[in-house]
Amino acid sequence: MLKIQNLQAGYGKLRVLKNVSMHVAKGEIVTILGANGAGKTTLLSTISGLIKPTSGEMMFEGQNLGMLAPQKIPALGCVMVPEGRQVFAPLSVEENLVLGGHVLKQEGPKAVARQMDHQYELFPILKERRGQYAGTLSGGEQQMLAMARALMSKPSLVMMDEPSTGLAPLIVQDIFKVIIRLRDEGKTVLLVEQNAKAALEVADRGYVFETGKVVLQGTSLDLQEDEEVKRAYLGKDYGEFYDGKA
Amino acid sequence: MVNSMMEKPDPHVCIPDDRRQLVLERLQSTLNRAYRNVPFHRKRLRKEGLDPADIQSLEDVQRLPFTTRRHLSENYPYGLFAVPLRDIVRIHTAPGTSANPTVSGYTRQDLHIWESMVATALKSSRVTPDDILQISLDSGLNTWGRDYQSGAESLGASVIPNTLLSIEKQLMVMQDYKTSTLVTTPSYAHQLAVHIEQKGLAPAAFSLKTLILVGEPAGAEERGFLEERLHVRTWLHFGLSEVPGPALAYECDNRSCLHVNDDHFLPEIIDPASGASLPAGETGELVLTTLTTRAYPLIRFRTGDMARILPEACDCDCRLVRIEWRPERSDRLLRIRGVKVHEQQILAGIEKALGMPPRHACMFENSYQKKIFLEIWIAVDHSLFSDEIKMLENRMKTVRDQVQEDTGVPVIVRLKEQASIIACKLS
Repeated sequence: MLKIQNLQAGYGKLRVLKNVSMHVAKGEIVTILGANGAGKTTLLSTISGLIKPTSGEMMFEGQNLGMLAPQKIPALGCVMVPEGRQVFAPLSVEENLVLGGHVLKQEGPKAVARQMDHQYELFPILKERRGQYAGTLSGGEQQMLAMARALMSKPSLVMMDEPSTGLAPLIVQDIFKVIIRLRDEGKTVLLVEQNAKAALEVADRGYVFETGKVVLQGTSLDLQEDEEVKRAYLGKDYGEFYDGKA
Repeated sequence: MVNSMMEKPDPHVCIPDDRRQLVLERLQSTLNRAYRNVPFHRKRLRKEGLDPADIQSLEDVQRLPFTTRRHLSENYPYGLFAVPLRDIVRIHTAPGTSANPTVSGYTRQDLHIWESMVATALKSSRVTPDDILQISLDSGLNTWGRDYQSGAESLGASVIPNTLLSIEKQLMVMQDYKTSTLVTTPSYAHQLAVHIEQKGLAPAAFSLKTLILVGEPAGAEERGFLEERLHVRTWLHFGLSEVPGPALAYECDNRSCLHVNDDHFLPEIIDPASGASLPAGETGELVLTTLTTRAYPLIRFRTGDMARILPEACDCDCRLVRIEWRPERSDRLLRIRGVKVHEQQILAGIEKALGMPPRHACMFENSYQKKIFLEIWIAVDHSLFSDEIKMLENRMKTVRDQVQEDTGVPVIVRLKEQASIIACKLS
């Protein structure tokens, strides 16, 4: 579905991604692990078209993403849920969702309504808050709204950037349950996550990034058992984070 | 990126398009890890003016420098490990090419991968959980014995692990325990077949149906002989004692070629003299790059084995790269009963035993009383000569014991005149 070869990208003169090759097959949950500054968010931003690659190839369903303007990419079925729950604070929950469904306009208002109902089924709390301003929602609810807004466009590939950051453990569990459900509904998920343990529990495969390079890849089971991954991402730090102490 | 390399002869032509992505990803992350963690690989890449990011296609692997057995010995014992020792769960030793053996390490995942690779190779040789699998390998191939044991056990077969027994005892076990699959070298299988015939034993008295041949290639004639005498089907497996892995490549049901586990090893064929890559179909030295190994990555390892990639697809379902393993070698390694022994290593053993390097020596495989030995001829000169036969015998015994210990194969040592040794080397 998504095939990336020798991708190089960065900000100005700063080269962040150095020759990254990876792929995501249809129906998979693939996670990207790595420390801060490893290039995880840069990768998602490059796939979304927000950053232009300096070289390399990104093929999504046979289309070269590097050649497309960022606004064309969601219409192909490739959407990103950005880090930090970037919802439109002065708009209501429902207005946020309508905006997310703008690519469905051609299919008519019924299609938008159908999709909205589906999101309310996935995230019942949003239904309760439908008229509320997004800025007044809790952190977890805002994350759910950001996800639901992205899902409104019926994407085939959902890219999520740190969906669990700063959320209480119980909310994190809910978010990950939704990720599994998305896969069960046939969607493909590319998940960037600092909570490596939780990510590897839901993902099929993973890539470990280090200073803009892939240093390890494998099935989640394989990575969970890797001593290096355990030390770097599943160690004590994780426990503190996951237990909500950090 | 447009693949501009397509016009060149493509040695990896047999890796289907859908697997090239996976193989490239694994190659790049292996290089990134090796570059980061192993000073040897980092220095060599830098010397060539290369960065791992320069390797952007499978064809680019040709730009990387080779690793040879000499490098493995020079970095004895842990110099090529890419993970800290605390991550290593098993350490294997294989006879090297010098006084230093080759030491390789495995992480837990490495062992899992090997286990599943051996199990896949065994399955392909029609081994099932109903089989009783006996392993009979020389001590030089002990590491393979362990790998076969784990692989067969994971498959659910009943395993009789590798034990050094006399040929009579091996046969007794084979007959009484109703061994259905035997893993051994073609040389030893030949010895067994001859022994059975000489003892007047009927092949029907054995339950053996599958013979897995490892360590050295076996020609059609030899396989025909073994199949007829032992009433079995033979299957060939290819491996390296350095990695060490006994089932890097294995035969499918057609038993006409070896399928390389190219998910885990990237195979290339090169001209042994120039080091240039050869296109599929041409015979040359087999070079392997590990793709999934964590503890002991090898970049373009020159195996010394001669082979050719078969470009035509196999009519079995398996789509792995196919090779034909040729009997000749591109280096000075001798294959004794399937165990690879280097001339330098034997010379080092002689020197250690005698306290000085031999002036002239030659070595080759030979058989006596149907047993295969490594035969060493050493030139007698004044430094070696003694008028006491006992003293001479003792010296030869010391040499034999030393080389036997270093190589793990049975040895015979003879004293010869210098002329005979020169003639032997020329022959």
